[in-house]
Amino acid sequence: MNLFCTAALTVAAAVVVEIALAGQPVYHAGWYNVVLVALVVVAIVAARRQFFRASCVRARFAIVAIAAGAAIAGLAGAASGLFAPDSQTFVGAPGQRISVEELGVLAFPLASTDAPASGSVTLERALHAPMELRQRRSDAGNFILRTIPRSVVYVEARDLRGSRLTITQPAGSAFLSPVLLMEHRQTIAGVDLPYDSFNVPAARRIVKAVMFTPGQAAMLLHGASKIAEAAVLFAVDDENERPLSNAIALSAGGRAVRVGGLSLRATVESYPAVEVVAAPNTLATALGTALVLGGIVGLILLGG
Amino acid sequence: MSRYLLWSIAAVALGIAFLVLEPFFVSPAPRSGGPASLVGEAAPVFPLRDDRGFAVSLDGYHGRIVVMNLWASWCPPCRAEMPDLQRLAQAHERDGIAIVGVNEGESPQRAAAFADSLGISFPIWIDSAQRYGRTYAALGLPTTVILNRRGVIVRAFDGALTFVQMESAVRPLVLMH
Repeated sequence: MNLFCTAALTVAAAVVVEIALAGQPVYHAGWYNVVLVALVVVAIVAARRQFFRASCVRARFAIVAIAAGAAIAGLAGAASGLFAPDSQTFVGAPGQRISVEELGVLAFPLASTDAPASGSVTLERALHAPMELRQRRSDAGNFILRTIPRSVVYVEARDLRGSRLTITQPAGSAFLSPVLLMEHRQTIAGVDLPYDSFNVPAARRIVKAVMFTPGQAAMLLHGASKIAEAAVLFAVDDENERPLSNAIALSAGGRAVRVGGLSLRATVESYPAVEVVAAPNTLATALGTALVLGGIVGLILLGG
Repeated sequence: MSRYLLWSIAAVALGIAFLVLEPFFVSPAPRSGGPASLVGEAAPVFPLRDDRGFAVSLDGYHGRIVVMNLWASWCPPCRAEMPDLQRLAQAHERDGIAIVGVNEGESPQRAAAFADSLGISFPIWIDSAQRYGRTYAALGLPTTVILNRRGVIVRAFDGALTFVQMESAVRPLVLMH
């Protein structure tokens, strides 16, 4: 195997690895892309020399194929490394549809306290069949998508007579959603905890909900050593900032608690988010790799 | 090498470069939502109960224009809009237009008391899990979504509407029939 074939094969292999192990920061590093482009240049310069030394037309075709394959794969890899955006995670509320430019619509499955999320997130694209996203990777052109399970909190609010009340999230991703996505973080006693907030407009209450794992609850909360499930601490405020008695309470295991003039119930469930990772274009990489491999096999068969 | 071959190679190279580079000029970023972003999509069908406890769903409204109004009793603009919705229901009683008030997240008793106090005669559905609010990407209340006779969302509004606005939204659908 000479320098020409080694350089071309290395380029193709590097770009295939970028797809197989997508999302690594090294692919966006300047030195990595300079090396990739340098290898392509080496392959093309060496191909030119080999081309004129080749003994037959078939060998010349094989050399052109290898050089073109290295250039195509290298272009796909460098383009992804230099121009592609960083990985992004899309967190959607149940039933929400998020339009993502150049990708399509991410449709998040419906869920409620009675029926936790059934089904998976679906990617809807023009001219494509809907793609169900799972935890394993799904290729969508220049992007690789996978779902990540996250903990979310389903809340139910009632007045003290038991009548159900509307929950709104004026600052959330879905205004009329009783599912808290817990995207914010707060440090309490040195422990980093997810939290979210919601409103109960009929009762003029603003509620902050902080989520604890059983271990965190046992460690931080007085008298909570018997908690075996994830717990949610509710802190209730009046919209008009009037003082409230009994305004903080812990709901664990889906049990309702009376707090700040409300009856609140929290259920912690798993719900998928979608991670979108840029990767070299699969079609261009496949074409480039096939040309490199086909050309090398051709050269070997021709005895070159 | 002939000029034709050179041009062909250049065209293929340009095509591959476009394929590889084009998607990166726009980064994947979410577009703003809101109910109007759902125009053209089929309305989801959820099994719900009405304020008297009977099972209801959009399946029972095939072939009719449906005006779905999402509301709650604590919402002052919803209260202000209700008489105009009632007027619309009465004005189009014979045109095959169905007005449905979808209460978001409240108990049937509270919703029924509210509707009775305003003399509402159109059906009131109870969406206790707030599923329509979520799927219609409501930005607030009230939210009004109009479905054509095939159950496809044709208009969607955020905020309270007047009778004239409602009328101008449904009239073209009535005339199309």
